[in-house]
Amino acid sequence: MLPLSLAVLPWGILFGSLAVQRGFSALEAQAFSAIAFGGTVQIVAVELIADNASLSTILFSALVITSRHFLYGLRLRERLKNQPLRWRLSLGFLLTDELFALSGHRHAYKNRLRLYYALGAGGSFYIAWNVWTFIGIVAGTSLPDLTHLGLDFAIAATFIALIVPTIKTWSVLVTVIVAGIASVTFSLWQLETGLIMAGLLAMTAGFAVNGWERRQ
Amino acid sequence: MTLITILLVAIVIFTSRYLFLEGKLPLRLGTNARDFLSFSGPAVLTAICMPIVLVKDEQLNIAISNPYLGAAIVSIIAAWKTGNIYWTVGLGLLVFIAYGSL
Repeated sequence: MLPLSLAVLPWGILFGSLAVQRGFSALEAQAFSAIAFGGTVQIVAVELIADNASLSTILFSALVITSRHFLYGLRLRERLKNQPLRWRLSLGFLLTDELFALSGHRHAYKNRLRLYYALGAGGSFYIAWNVWTFIGIVAGTSLPDLTHLGLDFAIAATFIALIVPTIKTWSVLVTVIVAGIASVTFSLWQLETGLIMAGLLAMTAGFAVNGWERRQ
Repeated sequence: MTLITILLVAIVIFTSRYLFLEGKLPLRLGTNARDFLSFSGPAVLTAICMPIVLVKDEQLNIAISNPYLGAAIVSIIAAWKTGNIYWTVGLGLLVFIAYGSL
């Protein structure tokens, strides 16, 4: 969990300082991280709010960027839908990319210990995100843009560490290759829905190869 | 006003995370749907990761002089050989920093 908490450091600090630079009060910036816990969505929303975008534009952009979480919820549905409400609400609130990345284990969420583990991991990301936001707010305008320093490589490296060991079948390999090519292509096209489109395309490819593997 | 916008954005995010965890939602996932969703992890995580590595200022950068690419290749090899998150991130960052000092 620690590498993942550290990996979001540049983004948290970036969000905090960006919000202050764009005219958010310290309270508003911190409240955003505390109640939304939304990463990229927060950074985009800050820019849109500062540009006086309409509320519908802001909410639609938020929906587009956050749409991948629908997939995470679907993926974990069978494991979590019968858990008590307090578990569903707390883990639902904490279900970030990072927590989902740790959810691939066969036994994830299947017993009490696993649930507490997820709560601890998700909770630690939440605390880290809010601490990094706070540092960004305090540093405010005195900080350079940390993503330009290349610290965002940390998030790429942690995701590589989580993805590569899962590549054990042709279907997963094809999924990863298609996701890579599609996401880079859509990113160059500056397609707003690129991430979720690349994800769905790659899942379809993996699913197709999986069917072919089963027939062999 | 900003606080209300923040609250609404938070509701959108929470809904996207929570919706399908709700058991009362009338939705049963068949074997095919579950197989399809089993690829969501590698698919979405790769889709988040690769543009960071290969796209800079809206341009494709596949030159070996791209520090993100060089470091990512080392990370991929480290992840494949060790399967350990600390080695993967540590070696990758080391190479990334080495690029900066060249």
